[in-house]
Amino acid sequence: MNKNYIILMSMLLVLAAGLLLLPEKNNPKQMNPEELMWDIVQPTRYVTTDDVAKSIIEQDPLLMLVDVRPESDFQDFALSGAINLPLEGFASDDTRAELDYPKKNIVFYSNDDLRADQAWVLAKRLGFNNVYVLRGGLNQWIKTIIQPVEPAQTASAEEFSLYTFRKGASLFFTGTKLSTTATTKESVVVTRKKKSSAVAGGC
Amino acid sequence: MHVHELNPKKTLVTLTLFVIIIIIGLLTLSQPRLVYKMDMKQSVDLALNNQGFVDQTELSDLLKNPRQNTVLIDIRDTYQYGRGHIPGAENISAVELLSEDNLKRIADLDAQGIKVLLYGNTLTEANGPFMALQQIGYYNTQVLIGGYQFYQRLESSKGDSSKQITCVPDQAEFNYAEVAKSSGTITEGDSPTKKPVVIERKKKTNAVAGGC
Repeated sequence: MNKNYIILMSMLLVLAAGLLLLPEKNNPKQMNPEELMWDIVQPTRYVTTDDVAKSIIEQDPLLMLVDVRPESDFQDFALSGAINLPLEGFASDDTRAELDYPKKNIVFYSNDDLRADQAWVLAKRLGFNNVYVLRGGLNQWIKTIIQPVEPAQTASAEEFSLYTFRKGASLFFTGTKLSTTATTKESVVVTRKKKSSAVAGGC
Repeated sequence: MHVHELNPKKTLVTLTLFVIIIIIGLLTLSQPRLVYKMDMKQSVDLALNNQGFVDQTELSDLLKNPRQNTVLIDIRDTYQYGRGHIPGAENISAVELLSEDNLKRIADLDAQGIKVLLYGNTLTEANGPFMALQQIGYYNTQVLIGGYQFYQRLESSKGDSSKQITCVPDQAEFNYAEVAKSSGTITEGDSPTKKPVVIERKKKTNAVAGGC
């Protein structure tokens, strides 16, 4: 056999082998930091408590709620249907597998929205594109859905219809019988606490 | 194909060119401009340990005696910055942070031992850019707890020492299980929530008042 032919063949084989090794080094599954930053500055990752409440009530099959708080907090209270993936575990392959539902809308939540946002950054880096953050977290959930505040008399019609929705949602989530009449409705609203100072948006 | 018909010299030239082209291709292969310097484990630790979080007390110390060991950067847009910002802060919006010039500047500051303190309206707003910079190896970056909103609240309550307000990141403001009390009492068979997730309720000693 011709020597040139052998050289040519071996060269090609070596290069082919090199190509095989290369992708692993570059870790193409992870998102490029620059793209990550572009996504970070988009506010589109935030979903409101109203949207999530609506999805839960409508039993939206695409909604996947992920509680990123520690397990003990999750045991105390969690949104219905949520699964618990504490932030601690985000480096593990298990978490990666749990999040691998490309068709679903994965919504992270925590007490406020910081931990959820951190989880979002990490998940995004891992290459998950269908991830969202519950704006304001559980604090906002309580303030808007569980204990909705009646808008002022001068408020717009939209605000009132939103309030009506939230009142209904509150009944739904606090587990009061849905078919009951106005008398029990009022008994639910008394859970409202008087706060010394109005709490402005979270940190 | 009759190999023996090949001109050895021509083959050699072709071969060399071929190899050179492939090598150039491999070297320039989609080498991203920025790469992660932290692995996933380190990134998770960064998040969990609140590493690089600066609270407002540290900020006010910093503003009182500017030893020039920290540069404040407002990552909000120019409009918001124009309406008000922390004294001495520069305005570099989040996206521009990754530009060649700004990254070089942050690295230069690091070489001089100077920290870069980022803030947005809230902690969460600046958290993303902060995490991105940390993960690509700019370890001298920091982020302000409570952000500009909380800074403003502190400013407006100055002199009123009776009201101590603090800001703890991602703190529960309610005892959720307590507040969502009557959950678990659904008796209606046709009710769409099958089983509320609330299983155990721990009594917490006191509800935490919302700080920020």
